Amino acid sequence: MAQAFGRANPTTISGYLEAEERQLLGSVFGTVAILLASEQPAANQDPLAAMVGISSSANLSSDPALQRLFPNAYRTDPEAANDFRRYTEESLREQKLDNANQAITLLKDQPDDLQMSIKQAQIISAALNDARLILGSRLELTDEHSLDTLLEVEVNNEGPAHLYEWLTWLQESLVRSLMD
Amino acid sequence: MTTPAGSVLTENKSETTTPFSCVVWNDPVNLMSYVTFVFMTYFGYSKEKAETLMLQVHNLGRSNVSAGDLEKVERDVTAMHGFGLMATIEKSN
Repeated sequence: MAQAFGRANPTTISGYLEAEERQLLGSVFGTVAILLASEQPAANQDPLAAMVGISSSANLSSDPALQRLFPNAYRTDPEAANDFRRYTEESLREQKLDNANQAITLLKDQPDDLQMSIKQAQIISAALNDARLILGSRLELTDEHSLDTLLEVEVNNEGPAHLYEWLTWLQESLVRSLMD
Repeated sequence: MTTPAGSVLTENKSETTTPFSCVVWNDPVNLMSYVTFVFMTYFGYSKEKAETLMLQVHNLGRSNVSAGDLEKVERDVTAMHGFGLMATIEKSN
């Protein structure tokens, strides 16, 4: 069973994940990467704009999970929000995709006893957070108590709510060790 | 950020001189510890200040976490979105 992350020394975060758990985490990050890669800019977009990371389309995604990852920056002004999105969403998407892919690579070929640099731990933490945001959106979590109801109905402690709870536990211990 | 984060609205010079705020909103997923950690690492706030702002988000539903000209606040909001926090740009009153 996984153990909480901890600060081994000022520059190293240590943790313990069994092979099956590393594999599960890798596949979670894999689904994050697939979702982020699924809405790449259309091939017919202005190549110069694409080169500098400006999208020609700027609408809020129809997928609630992507809406959550790329929210409106202006609450009451949809036009300004779309304009802002055109200039920021592509690079934000690339950053998140890069985090997920780096997190997958980091977990590959690791022993059960994990040793990570601070930077590597931050990448795992960012990828974990995006995974939790996506899963939280799929589970339609609305407040701090909505998870409890979902946990109760899952059989044998298996299912998306339990996966979410496990990711939360990992994230909490990782963030606390980064703040130590 | 690899984009010219230069601001969407720099054409309008009069707007860039008006102070803006980066507002972070409460959400059911982000952990209190994580939000504190983000405020400490990105803004360089002390743990006390970061916790105070995090508790405002948690208890009041929102907190103005930074302020400045439009370009700075757009950069802050983009960074908050990068960390997965719900953040918006508001004109300061």
